[in-house]
Amino acid sequence: MIELKNVTKSYDNNKIIVDKLNLKIEKGEFIVLIGESGCGKTTTMKMINRLIEPTTGKIYIEGKDIMSMDPIELRRKIGYVIQKVGLFPHMTVGQNIELIPMLQKWDKAKRKARAMELLDLVDLPANEYYNRYPNELSGGQQQRVGVIRALAANPNIILMDEPFSALDPLTREQLQKALLKLQDELQKTIIFVTHDMDEAIKLGDKIAVMKDGKILQYDTPEQILKNPKDDFVEYFVGKNRLWKSPEMLFARDIMNKKVATISIKRSHAHAIELMKEKGVNTLVVLDTESSKPQQPLGIVRKKDLKLNEKHSAKIKDIMHTDLITVPESMNMVDVLNLMAEQQLKNVFVIDDNKNLSGIITQSSILNVITEVVTD
Amino acid sequence: MSLNSQTNFFEFLSYRADEIIRLLFEHIQITGFAVLLAILIGVPIGIFITRKEKCANIIIGIANIFQTLPSLALFGLIIPFLGIGITPSIFVLFLYALLPIIKNTYIGINSVDPSIIEAGKGMGMKSSQILRMVELPLALPMIMGGIRISTVINIGTATIASLIGAGGLGDLIFKGISMNDSYLTLAGAIPTSLLAIGADTLLGMIENALVPKGIAKVQRDG
Repeated sequence: MIELKNVTKSYDNNKIIVDKLNLKIEKGEFIVLIGESGCGKTTTMKMINRLIEPTTGKIYIEGKDIMSMDPIELRRKIGYVIQKVGLFPHMTVGQNIELIPMLQKWDKAKRKARAMELLDLVDLPANEYYNRYPNELSGGQQQRVGVIRALAANPNIILMDEPFSALDPLTREQLQKALLKLQDELQKTIIFVTHDMDEAIKLGDKIAVMKDGKILQYDTPEQILKNPKDDFVEYFVGKNRLWKSPEMLFARDIMNKKVATISIKRSHAHAIELMKEKGVNTLVVLDTESSKPQQPLGIVRKKDLKLNEKHSAKIKDIMHTDLITVPESMNMVDVLNLMAEQQLKNVFVIDDNKNLSGIITQSSILNVITEVVTD
Repeated sequence: MSLNSQTNFFEFLSYRADEIIRLLFEHIQITGFAVLLAILIGVPIGIFITRKEKCANIIIGIANIFQTLPSLALFGLIIPFLGIGITPSIFVLFLYALLPIIKNTYIGINSVDPSIIEAGKGMGMKSSQILRMVELPLALPMIMGGIRISTVINIGTATIASLIGAGGLGDLIFKGISMNDSYLTLAGAIPTSLLAIGADTLLGMIENALVPKGIAKVQRDG
C-alpha cells in the first residue's frame, strides 16, 4: 500500500507544484493520475520513487516512510516507465531488460530466463528480439521493452509517466491492451500518469483528477463519468465522454424503473385491461400486487392473450416463464448484444436479490442516447 | 626535380634511415605521452564539469586560452619556468591537447538524451553506474573525436617543440631549413605528415572497435 500524507512540493518557497496532497493506493490497484500539464501529476508520481523529494509531508510504502529508505534500494523495488522510453541504445534488448537484475547480482541464467519470459509476455518472440538493438525496433516495440524492463526485477509497484502518449493511436491501443493483460496476470500496484481521459477510463481502477497540485476527485472511472464532483472535473471529463464509453453505462442506468406488472392470481381479462390502460404489450408477472420487491415469475404478451380467448383463464396458465433477465451491473454493450442476439424488444433487470428492478426497452435505450448526446 | 634527383632522395633516405626512424619514435613518444596525459586529466575534468555546470565555462575558458596562444609563443613563455628539453615540450603539448579532450568529453556527456539518464536513475542505477555504463559509452564517439583532434594537432606542434630541444622529426625539418637542404626538410616533413595521417586512421579504427554496436548503427542510419 502506498500512502501520501499532506505532501507538498514547492520551489523557492513560492511556486507550489503539489499542494497538501493526500492519496491512498491499495495493493494491486491501477491508479491513473490525470490533469492538464502543470497540474502536478508527474511531480506527484516522481515523489514516490524520490526522483523528486517532497518539501513537506510524508510518503509511506507498506507503512514505511520512504525518506528513511536508501533511494537506490527504493527505486529498484519500483518499476519506472517514461514517455520517451529511455532504452539504452548501446545495449541489446536483452541487456536492457537484464540491467537491474544484473546490478542485483542475479546469476546469468536466471536473468536471461527472466528476460525471455517477459519478452514472450508482451508478444515479442524472445529468439527474435533478445539480441536486437533498440534502434532496430519500432516505437511500439521499444515501449513494450520499456515496460518489461521495469518489470524485470519483479517490483510490486510500477510508475508510468505518460508511457503511450508519443505513440500513434493504433499502437497506443495495442499497448494499452497488452498492459491490461499484463496487469491481469501480475497484479502490480500501478501509478499511471496521463492527460488522456479515454486512456484513464480504459486502464484505471481509480482515477485521480488533479488541478493546481490538488486532487479534485479520486474515484472509479464510472463515478468520475457519472458524478463529476465539480465543473472542472465535468469539463475535463467532457460532456460526451459517457457516450464514448458505453461500457461505463450499466443496466441500472438505462432501465426504466416503472414496469407494468400483474399478479399471478389475476385473469386473462384483467391482463387485457391493464395493457390497454398502461399502453404496453407485455406485463411482468409477480406473486402479489404489492409494491415490495419481488422476483419476476414470468411475462404475458399481448399476442398470447389473443390466442387464448378464454377470458377466464388464469395468468399462471398463460404466462411464459422463460423470462430473460440481466443483472443491474451488466454494461450497456453487453445488454445491446444480448438483445440483438436473442432478438428481444425488451429485457428485465433484476437486482442482487433477483428481485425485479426495471425494464430495458428499445425506447429506454433511445432515451439514454438522447440525453447523453444532446446534453 | 628531375628523375635523377628523386633517386638521390631515396638514396638519401636510406642513408639517413636510422636517424629518421629514431627521430620518428622520439616524435611518437613525445606526442603520445602528451596526449595520454591529456586524456588522463582531460576526460575526468570533462566529466567533472558536466556535474558542476558553474565550473564548465571557467575551465573551458582557461583551456581555450592555451589553445589560442600561438604555439611558438607558448614554448617561449614556458622556458623561464621549465627550461628547455623534453619535459617543457611535453607540458606545452599536453596543454594543447587538453581543450579538445575536455570540450568533447563535456559535450559528449551532455548530449546523452536526458530521458535515458532519467530512465537509468528511475530504475535505481547509482550515478557512478550511470556514468560508467551509460554516459561514457554513449559519449565515446565524441570523446574519441577529441582525442583524434588532439593527436593530430600535437604531431604537428611537436615539430615546433624541437626548437626548445624536444627532439623528434622537427629536428630534421629545422636543420634542413637552416642548411637550405630540401632533402633534409622533406625527410622530416614527410614522415610527420604520414604519422599524422596514420595516427588518425589508427584512432579511427580503435574508435570503431570501441563504439558500441547499437549507437554505431544509429549514426549510420542518421
